[in-house]
Amino acid sequence: MKKTLTCAAFVLFGAFALSAAPADVTYTEGDASIKLKTGTVQDAQIGDSMNTGDTLRTGEDGLAELDQKGVTIKIAKNTVFTLMEREQGGNTSAVLAVTLGAIKFRYNKLTGQEPLVRTNSMVAGVRGTEFTVFSGADGSTLIAVDSGQVTVESEGKSVDLAATEGVEVPLGKPPADKFTVPKELMDYSKWNADKLSAMLADPLAAMTSIENALVEYEKNVADYYATFLKYKPQLDDARQKRAQIAKEKSVEEATKYQDDVIAPLALQTGHLYLNVRYFSLAALSMRRFVAGRLYLSLKSRFITNPDDPTWTEFLSRFDRFLSSFEESIAPQLVAADI
Amino acid sequence: MAALILLASCASLQHSWDQGNVQTVARLINEGQADKLAAMSAVPFLVDGEIVTLKPDVASFWSGIVKAGFKVEGATLVQAAPLAPDSYTQFANTMEVKTFFAQYVKKEARLLELGTSQSGKRILLIFSDSSFKKTIYGFKGPY
Repeated sequence: MKKTLTCAAFVLFGAFALSAAPADVTYTEGDASIKLKTGTVQDAQIGDSMNTGDTLRTGEDGLAELDQKGVTIKIAKNTVFTLMEREQGGNTSAVLAVTLGAIKFRYNKLTGQEPLVRTNSMVAGVRGTEFTVFSGADGSTLIAVDSGQVTVESEGKSVDLAATEGVEVPLGKPPADKFTVPKELMDYSKWNADKLSAMLADPLAAMTSIENALVEYEKNVADYYATFLKYKPQLDDARQKRAQIAKEKSVEEATKYQDDVIAPLALQTGHLYLNVRYFSLAALSMRRFVAGRLYLSLKSRFITNPDDPTWTEFLSRFDRFLSSFEESIAPQLVAADI
Repeated sequence: MAALILLASCASLQHSWDQGNVQTVARLINEGQADKLAAMSAVPFLVDGEIVTLKPDVASFWSGIVKAGFKVEGATLVQAAPLAPDSYTQFANTMEVKTFFAQYVKKEARLLELGTSQSGKRILLIFSDSSFKKTIYGFKGPY
């Protein structure tokens, strides 16, 4: 029943996910592909447009550059980048999601409506013109500002970063202390390798962070979905009433009812569903690119020693995580998300 | 009668193809040919219940198990079957794995179960051998 409603809502309110500015591919090199919102995967080509819900992935030798209405987005190798949207304060906000890898953002001009930037561990509000986001294998984030200002928020705590400042945000934790960004080019590969080593050295601690992050996503999905379910019947009733008005009174009155009652209700319901999808897809990203990759690394490591207590304990925790994901997040996903 | 003989020969031929494919994968693992295994693997790829969507991660998986010294000793074909609507449950009974089978695995792929001489452990492969192209879609085990 929930799945049927999700599919129906996806069709009905999917249109809300089409309003963000598309990002045009201006450069590609090596392995770079786009997974469209429909699920189709194609090689990224100069001139392609990425729309909300599309994901660009680069491989070992891949690079890409996008232009989104004056924002230059430089995507490094081994990176996963998605255009998303969510509702905030009654408005639809574009969200640039760096799930894995490194991306440099350069804003050629600021309009005051800059998209949010999100990773597995933080959301950043942008008032800056040039900064780089590194999204690590363990779900943590490193953000370094070259110029302007960026506000980084996680777990209810926010940090303002000015030019030459940076901060690290571990998965499921508030931002750490700010640091001065070194003048030489930051070595993302080494930072990421260190994060991966630390995660593999203590996979149970990593699982705790992942499970905690999932709890947050589940809470948001459950809250927005419950409210959506309250609004949806109201919208259905209002649509029936409009038909009745048109039949019993006049088309003019039905149009007025449409503008005064149905349109705001439809917008509100659409926004609620947008947020259900936003948090579900964010949970899927973490599940796929942090939890799934951790599983894969440990599976390789323990394949010849499956009775090792670290592996068996990890498996038990991972199964619990998967069950929770399957129960709370999967019903909000559609086949094209997979 | 002729039809029965033809059917029996087809089944026998299919069995020998399946057996050959199982031996190929086992040999590549035992010889540490992770690059060849990665080249044969589809992306996305399935490991147990995990969908691996990045090519470098699929390559890392094969090189990781080879580096760990994993071997498939005494590989034999235990079972082979075409895909069925519920085949996904043999990997994981989840929405994601169900979708993976529906969206990414070719209809003519087969489930090949390998027995090993290592304490009776088994490995399950999703394997397609068509148009002169061998493709591994998924790996589960040893279990």
